[in-house]
Amino acid sequence: MSGSGPTPAQRLTLDRLADVLVPEGRNMPAASTVGVSEGLLDRFLDAAPALAEPLLSLLDEAPAEGLDAFVRHLASQRPGDFGVLSTTVVGAYYLSAEVRRLIGYPGQQPNPLSVASEPDYLDMLERVHERHPGYRECS
Amino acid sequence: MSAQPEAELAWVERWNPDPNVRQGLADYPLTGDADVRPVMYNGVGGGLVQWAAMWQTLLASDFRVRTLDGIADDWPIGWDDLADCYAQVARDMSVSGLGGDPALPEMDPYPNPPIPIGKIGQVAAEGMDRLGWHWWPGANAIASRRHGNLQACQRRGTCMIGCPENAKATPSLTHWPSVQAAGARLVTGARVTEIPVDERGRVRGAAYLDRDGVEHFQPAQVVMLAANAVGTARLLLLSASPRFPDGLANSSGLVGRRLMQHPYRTVTVVCEDPLDSWQGPWGQVIYSLEFAETHPDRDFVRGAKWMVMPHGGPMFAAAEYQEAHRHDGFEAVWGANFHRAADEVFGRAFTWGIQAEDLPEDDNRVTLDPTMCDSSGLPAAHVEYRVSENTRRMLDFNVARAVEAAEASGAVSTLVRDVWPTGIGHVLGTTRMGNDPQTSVVDRWCRAHDVPNLYVIDGGVFVTGGSANPTATIMANALRVTDHLIEARASQEIPA
Repeated sequence: MSGSGPTPAQRLTLDRLADVLVPEGRNMPAASTVGVSEGLLDRFLDAAPALAEPLLSLLDEAPAEGLDAFVRHLASQRPGDFGVLSTTVVGAYYLSAEVRRLIGYPGQQPNPLSVASEPDYLDMLERVHERHPGYRECS
Repeated sequence: MSAQPEAELAWVERWNPDPNVRQGLADYPLTGDADVRPVMYNGVGGGLVQWAAMWQTLLASDFRVRTLDGIADDWPIGWDDLADCYAQVARDMSVSGLGGDPALPEMDPYPNPPIPIGKIGQVAAEGMDRLGWHWWPGANAIASRRHGNLQACQRRGTCMIGCPENAKATPSLTHWPSVQAAGARLVTGARVTEIPVDERGRVRGAAYLDRDGVEHFQPAQVVMLAANAVGTARLLLLSASPRFPDGLANSSGLVGRRLMQHPYRTVTVVCEDPLDSWQGPWGQVIYSLEFAETHPDRDFVRGAKWMVMPHGGPMFAAAEYQEAHRHDGFEAVWGANFHRAADEVFGRAFTWGIQAEDLPEDDNRVTLDPTMCDSSGLPAAHVEYRVSENTRRMLDFNVARAVEAAEASGAVSTLVRDVWPTGIGHVLGTTRMGNDPQTSVVDRWCRAHDVPNLYVIDGGVFVTGGSANPTATIMANALRVTDHLIEARASQEIPA
């Protein structure tokens, strides 16, 4: 991440905004409790550095009270800014190893495929052949 | 990055398919008012860097749309003219697939067996089977086993942001090593500014800026353009001269017109059982041509191709859920309902992508922006594009059928999206091929009618769009044209 990064106050604001979007759910932690404003935010901004400036501006703009209304205002009136906030929160949230464990997501891991055995859909393809009229002749 | 936990985040910025978002060094701005904004990748390999590797030939009927359906224009070539080249480029690209689809003319077997259709393909295929509709295992330029310079697919599902296994075909693997070994010189970081002409109207080569902004001129006897239907049109318009005041090769006035893009909608099929649907490849698992042809009972002509894809990781699943519920208000997708996307969609869904045949319209066009420039000071590409009424009816019909297919597959719900506002990287038609110099830009050999040593070999030469993913046809046609150029080299006109 370039620059000095978010300040502690900006991180605190992000935690509070993030919980409006991603609160605690059944078996799922709230965004703030998995650290979306901490190391996960830094990793997110490393991957999407152009979002840092608009995000930090947004965090500075957020009021001390009424964050719920602020987020809803962004969602309804300022879709671009809301996109910056929501993309950051969701992106950082799903980087969390704990969240990934809870939803059963191993990441985009290698999983070798096998083409050695005969596919078991051949009977269905036979039916495609039987009912298909053939391609449209053009000559 | 595609092998890292941050893989999904690559889409946010660095590997976003929209050049206006990505803003890479080689990108140029796209301006204008477009229902569907073109996307593209600019760099060595072009569109074949950031693509899903779906491999599909056109239908035989796609070349005879005017004759068969009384609309648009016929191509000056037919399916048979491309048959041998389709087979050759499938080998060059290490395509994995299964031949014998009755909806297509017979062709040589693909070099690799099809990639297993997996759980999502099986569920989708069973639905189509119950309805008696066409489907076929997808062909993809992704190696199902080691082949050529490609390794076997490991199903990471990061196809669109780069394959860390080198299993997806891309020119840096499939073409450049042998081309460079044969002596070709690749100039990276170059931005072509103009194709200048001599006093007889022959092109002389290419003027370009290097990455430091230093001007160069590369002389050439023949120039072949393949900058996609936006970039090639832009370059021809940038190459206006006293001899060609409306742009190079533009006596017809058609350079930049008839832009086609395959407007795209999706139906995400949510199932009860886990499908591990973050796993790749992100090519087409199966496809359907059931509704790809004109039918007299429908209120539109031509048709759409469908293909099944995985939905990716949880961020994508959430985005799909949010987009499908965008008109349902904040509460539907955020706050207490945020976790529904992961609960209900993630790992349990797949997507039917529906790409509509886009017919050519003169007013869908690329021009030069009068004010906005790229980082070299060259005018940006200005794009005006409207989705036609025929296309909207076609998509509405196909989406309704895809929901039926989802139900036949046992879906518990579906997520239906409207026309995507950004394209799917299929940009076609702005330098169309034809026999008549007054109604086309290039001839059947893709040589400019106006300039005998200038060729266009990208998707701009498409006369109509078909509904197939265009790469197989672009490559087969480029091979056909190049073979002919070599064969006829003795009569090729060149600059003095």
